[in-house]
Parts: sequence; C-alpha cells; structure tokens
Amino acid sequence: MAAVAVHQFAECITCHAWSPDQSMVAFCPNNSEVHIYKLFGEKWEKMHVLSKHDQIVCGIDWSLKSNKLVTVSHDRNSYVWSQEGTEWVPTLVILRLNRAALCVQWSPKENKFAVGSGAKSICICYYEQENNWWVSKLIRKRHESSVTNVAWHPDNILLATTSTDGKCRVFSTYIKGVDSKESESSSSDLKFGEQIAQLDLSVTWAFGVRWSPSGSILAYAGHNSMIHFIDDVKSNPSAQSIPLRDLPLRDLLFLSDRVVVGVGFDCNPMIFTADDTGLWSFTKFLDQRKAAPSSSRGSQLSEAFGKLYGTSKQVPSNDTVEPSKTRGGAHENCITCIVPLWKRGNTTLCRFSTSGLDGKVVIWELDIPK
Amino acid sequence: MANTIRLYLTCIRNTLEAAMCLQNFPCQEVERHNKPEVELNTSPGLIMNPVLICRNEAEKCLIETSINSIRISMKVKQADELENILAKKFLRFLSMRAEAFQVLRRKPVQGYDISFLITNYHCEEMHKHKLIDFIVQFMEDIDKEISELKLSVNTRGRLVATEFLKQFI
Repeated sequence: MAAVAVHQFAECITCHAWSPDQSMVAFCPNNSEVHIYKLFGEKWEKMHVLSKHDQIVCGIDWSLKSNKLVTVSHDRNSYVWSQEGTEWVPTLVILRLNRAALCVQWSPKENKFAVGSGAKSICICYYEQENNWWVSKLIRKRHESSVTNVAWHPDNILLATTSTDGKCRVFSTYIKGVDSKESESSSSDLKFGEQIAQLDLSVTWAFGVRWSPSGSILAYAGHNSMIHFIDDVKSNPSAQSIPLRDLPLRDLLFLSDRVVVGVGFDCNPMIFTADDTGLWSFTKFLDQRKAAPSSSRGSQLSEAFGKLYGTSKQVPSNDTVEPSKTRGGAHENCITCIVPLWKRGNTTLCRFSTSGLDGKVVIWELDIPK
Repeated sequence: MANTIRLYLTCIRNTLEAAMCLQNFPCQEVERHNKPEVELNTSPGLIMNPVLICRNEAEKCLIETSINSIRISMKVKQADELENILAKKFLRFLSMRAEAFQVLRRKPVQGYDISFLITNYHCEEMHKHKLIDFIVQFMEDIDKEISELKLSVNTRGRLVATEFLKQFI
C-alpha cells in the first residue's frame, strides 16, 4: 500500500524505463546519456552508459517483447538500441524534425513508436524490412503548439496526444503494410493522420495522456490542477473533469479500468477511482506524509500545520515568517515519470515505479479491490 | 501593523507555490535552444497571466510565470527621499552580484526595484519550498535592512554634526 523500494540513482532523473524482466532500469540522469543499472541481489550496478545524444534525453521506452530501447532527445534525434551480446547497438531513426522531441512510446504490438515534438508534430516510426531501417511518417497538421505526451490505444492504431495548446487529440496512425486492416473499423477512420477527436476540456497546457487497458476511457491532466476523464471517445464522448486540491499532475497511469494513479508537483502519487456508475473521484494520496514540526514552534502549532496541509492560514500570534512544511514522503521533488511494472502472469497491474527530479526511482505496490 | 505584512507575505507564498511548477521545455521558436520563456516572451500560449499583489500603492509584487521559468519583481517601500536613495543603492549592490544569488536578475523589471528569475534548472537543483522560503525571507529582510541603514545614516549624521559643531562652542 505504499513505497516498496526507494533507489537514489542520480541528482535528477528525467525519465526511466524497465527491462522486460524488471532486473534492469534505464534512465536519463538529466544529461545526454542513458544509464542502465542492473540489480545484483541488493545492490544496483551501472551496466551500460549509452551516449549518442547531444542534448538531454527526454524520453525512454523499453519494449517488453522485442527488448529494444528507444530514446529521444532535445537534439531532434532518436535512436533504437538493441542488445547484441553485452553491448547496446544504436540505430539512428531519421525523424525529420526541426525542433526537439519531447516524448516517445512503443505501440502495444511494438512494431511502431510515436514521438511527440516541439515542432508541433508527431512522428510515427515503423521498421522497413527491405531497407533495414526505421522510417518516420509525420503528422504535421492540427497541433498549434508542442506535443507533450503521446499514448497508444490498445488497438495499435489510435494515438492520443496532449499539447501545450491545452487540447487532447486522437489520431489514426494506420500504415499500410504494417497494420492489418480490422474488419470492424470503418474505412474513413483508417487514413493515416486523420484526426478522430479533439478535446477542449483544459484551458491550460495538457500533460500525461493515457488510455485505459480496455481502451474505452481516455484520461489526461491539465496544468490548472484538473484531471479529465473521457468515456467512449470515438462515437459518443462524455467527459468528467475533477479539480485537484493541490498542485498539477505531470503523468498518469491506469492500473485498471477503474483506478488511475496521477503523479506531479505534489511529490506524492494520487489515486483516482471510478465507482460502479463510472463517476471518477479522488481517493487518496499514496504516500503517508509525516507532518514534521517546524523548528522553533510549540507542539500546538505543529498540530495545526499538520491539519492545515496545503492551506497556510494566518496565525496572528507569531512574529516571524513561517517556514514551509518539511516533506516526509518518498519523493522530495516533482515526480515526472510513472511506469507500469507488470507481474508475470497477472492481468491486473498493482506495481508501478515513479521517478522524479530528486533523482530517485521509487517502486510502489497497491492492492486494488476487484 | 505587523499583521499586514504577514498577510502580504502569505499571499505571495501561496501564489509562488502554485506558480512555481516548472519543467524543462525546449524552445519552440529556435531549434536546439532552451531559454526561459518568461524572458523570451515570443509564445503567448506558454506564458500565464501575470499576478500583481499589492500591499499598498508603494509596495507591490509582480509574479509572471511560464512553462519553464518564473519572474518575481518587487517594489520596496520607500517612505522618503533618504529611503529612496538607500533602497536604490542597496538593491543595485545586490543585483550587481547576481551570480552569487543564482536566482537574482541583474536588472529589475521596468517599474520595480528588484527582480528574481527562477528557471526549471533552479527547481531541479534546489528544493522548491526552500526557494520560496528564500524569496519570502528576502522580502522581509529588505525592509529591515533599509530601516537599519536609515537609522545608521541618521545616527552617523548626528554624531558627525555634533563633533563638527563642538569647535564652535
């Protein structure tokens, strides 16, 4: 029901990804390298350092079936790394971007990956067997600002994106030769780059878009401390927006169709659950915070601080400025990335890991009621 | 008297807690660049509405925030000419040594006495709540410093004048 393991890897971690067997973790320590650490018993040891990028690596994804790593960086490049023996061999992917890449994700079937960029476009890359390289197709229109996050629908064709223009859009990324034609889908949907839906729920920048495991619910977070849930995007969308008590979220994860974990500037994962009617609400913070008393205050005042978490009520008795409350949780700085950790054989997800600007990777475990 | 400064500082603290949610964001206009968006001012979509917190006409604080940076400008209370000169000289002294402070801006924004520029890199290196503590403490200390300076100027002036005029007794 809380943090299972806390590992301090660096001063600051931009993003991370786990290997298929969860014995290795790849992360970017806020520079142009990717470090891969392996767990030997109790200790983590640095196995590889992948340094091909010129600028900060902002997105890493590790494909679970084909064991390939894809990294994208602010230098507009992307590499697909495959492990040959003990070395990781990079393959440059020509993204044809003229601005930084911001995020990357492998598709569920791992034959494509999507890259969101500051060039207000998305690149969908797939492997061409004849030429033995990765080709990218760009979706240039529609976005008015940088694309911050991308999320694949379980059907491997629909892609949801969030952007700093506040909108969440769903596109079709059907590529002839790579995707097989599904009999249920109508032919108009299948055109590459076709925008299926545009959601205007957020007035500020949108981050952290995810599909639920069944693909029926879409969720994303807005920077105005709101989280939006949209049911049935394709035919009859119905939306719910929940305001958060504190600071905005950066990333989301669906643990099941009814449970979502959000992470962000609060340094504490938040759980949202849907009840039987499909109504979403905030359930709780995951981390038990100790309300540490401020240095020179009496016990009464520290109790008050503990009760008034998040609201600094004015206390007229003291003369000096109150210092901020000390954190007691696992993360000390903003959490930027949340990655699922599937247990072998399990269909429900109850373990996930978060990494943040404090350089820690924390593994959480949650019991989800059925 | 003491209460109003508490309210003012608490309001600034709460606003900063909400506004200081910064992240690394590469420049949309120029490739391979990563600059504070609040200073660049090129993409209106990336900059939030500025917030002005006024204690009275003489003291105010402007908080402008964007996706990767926040600019806090303060106007310090200056009751008379002497405080005016003292504040200007003291704050100029601090601004010239902006490197030592890291978050200080070398030139204050037009219409204000001193400005801070906090970027996502500062938030990565330092704790956000410590940065906010620093800014609020700074605002409190500035007032005390200038009062102390004024007091010492007056005291020194009185001492010098007394000594000088002794020769005429």
